[in-house]
Amino acid sequence: MIDQRIFENLQTKIDEESTVRDELHEIVHTLARRGRSTQAILSRAHSTPADQLKPVLDDVTKEILAQKEEVARLKAVADQHPFYKYNGLWTRELQNLVASIELTAWLGGLQEHKGPSSTSFMTIEDVGKFLDIPVNLKEQDAFHLTIEEYLLALIAMVEELARLAVNSVTLGDYTRPMQIGNFVKELFAGFQLLNLKNDILRKRSDGIKYSVKKIEDVVYDLSLRNLVPKDNSSA
Amino acid sequence: MGTKRSWEGQPLELYPQDTIMAEAESESAPSAPSAPSILSIFENFRDELDEHHDRRERIIKKSRDITALSKKIIFALQRVRATNQPLPPKIAQENQTRFNQIHELFEAVVPEQLGINGWRYQRQISAGIQEFIEALSFDHYLRTQTLITHAECSARIPSQILVSEEDYLMGLYDLTGEMMRFAVLSLSSGNASAIQAAENTASESEKSTVASSQGGIVVDLRAMRAGFEALSLPPRHYMFRDMAKKMDVMQNSVEKVERAAYGIVVRGSERPSGWTPDLSGAVEVASY
Repeated sequence: MIDQRIFENLQTKIDEESTVRDELHEIVHTLARRGRSTQAILSRAHSTPADQLKPVLDDVTKEILAQKEEVARLKAVADQHPFYKYNGLWTRELQNLVASIELTAWLGGLQEHKGPSSTSFMTIEDVGKFLDIPVNLKEQDAFHLTIEEYLLALIAMVEELARLAVNSVTLGDYTRPMQIGNFVKELFAGFQLLNLKNDILRKRSDGIKYSVKKIEDVVYDLSLRNLVPKDNSSA
Repeated sequence: MGTKRSWEGQPLELYPQDTIMAEAESESAPSAPSAPSILSIFENFRDELDEHHDRRERIIKKSRDITALSKKIIFALQRVRATNQPLPPKIAQENQTRFNQIHELFEAVVPEQLGINGWRYQRQISAGIQEFIEALSFDHYLRTQTLITHAECSARIPSQILVSEEDYLMGLYDLTGEMMRFAVLSLSSGNASAIQAAENTASESEKSTVASSQGGIVVDLRAMRAGFEALSLPPRHYMFRDMAKKMDVMQNSVEKVERAAYGIVVRGSERPSGWTPDLSGAVEVASY
């Protein structure tokens, strides 16, 4: 005899879960839409000379702050459920946001949120503090930014910087590729310390070396033609 | 001497503006960081990730062991020939040992799955849990001819370990395969009691010798199929990815047993003793 209540109970559980999922999905959807507009504004940096970046950075900061509010909304809902059960729903958008934050900070925005650390990028703690969310929680089951998400965001930033190196030259800026080169090489050295397994992080971080190569090619072209600004020739 | 030109064809010089830009840059983009700082940050990340990977692998290993033991339990249970009765002592004893071993394995996983890590490594332990539920539900079905409930499954696993609805559901899907194999094996070995069970549905029209007091496997499988098919899942639900495939296998299993029952009803009366129905087609059993 098969007790049909077993299936009825399953259906109830599935329905409960769908409700949670839908609720989270709606927030993530908004976050994604705002994320696209953040990235659209940020991509203007590719065609804006460094000394005229200020308005772009101001606009981006506004969008990022709007996204921050969505993250707060997400956190409020997600905190009521097991973190890793639903993490997959928002991880992509959170990564994109962190990548935008990092790039903005590198370009000179969001300076007041950078920690006192000597790094040229925002550490995971800086990002957590800025977004007002915990990072790398290991015991407590609550919403947070994971190390993997943070590292994936850094990789996304590196890819964007490789593009920026090329576009800076087009704009006649020969200094920035050097700075990008130095910075990315340091990050690359950091990534090489990691023992990566066959996962998404491994796949994405394998891509860094292509970004490094792209940037090095630019630096090489500039050095070959003696276009490297003297005060930065150490690059 | 040629003139360097920008891509727009303008003669290119190092404008004084460049130095201004460089200044602006060095203001906006923070100065080069001290190397050890980045490295120490990443060393910290490395340790964290190593810990994560190690734990993940330990869990996968345990999960595989649980799967292997569960499969052995299922094989042993396929040697049983009757439902709704206590299991033969030898098989019961063998399986008890295996259930105990599985329990120990689960206990060993508990410290890895505390708190937030329960869901973090859910996917790693899930295969083991699903196979265990398959074994557990098959054992339960043979003894009582009823389905084990989700709560009963959870009770057999340390409480700290999550038994998700998905695992339970997937275990039940696999159970249909085992039930099919059980029914078919019983038929082909000419065992009376299982045939009675299979025949039960048709027993009104066919003056069957037996009216089994319990519903037969065919009836149960049909009811399960109806139950599975009635479940409505949200589209693109990541947890039920391989559901479509399981659904297919399950429907096939049910049909196979239905055909076997049909074969007995149609040809049963003219069946010489020792005749077994033709069950052409390979017997497929879902084994994940």
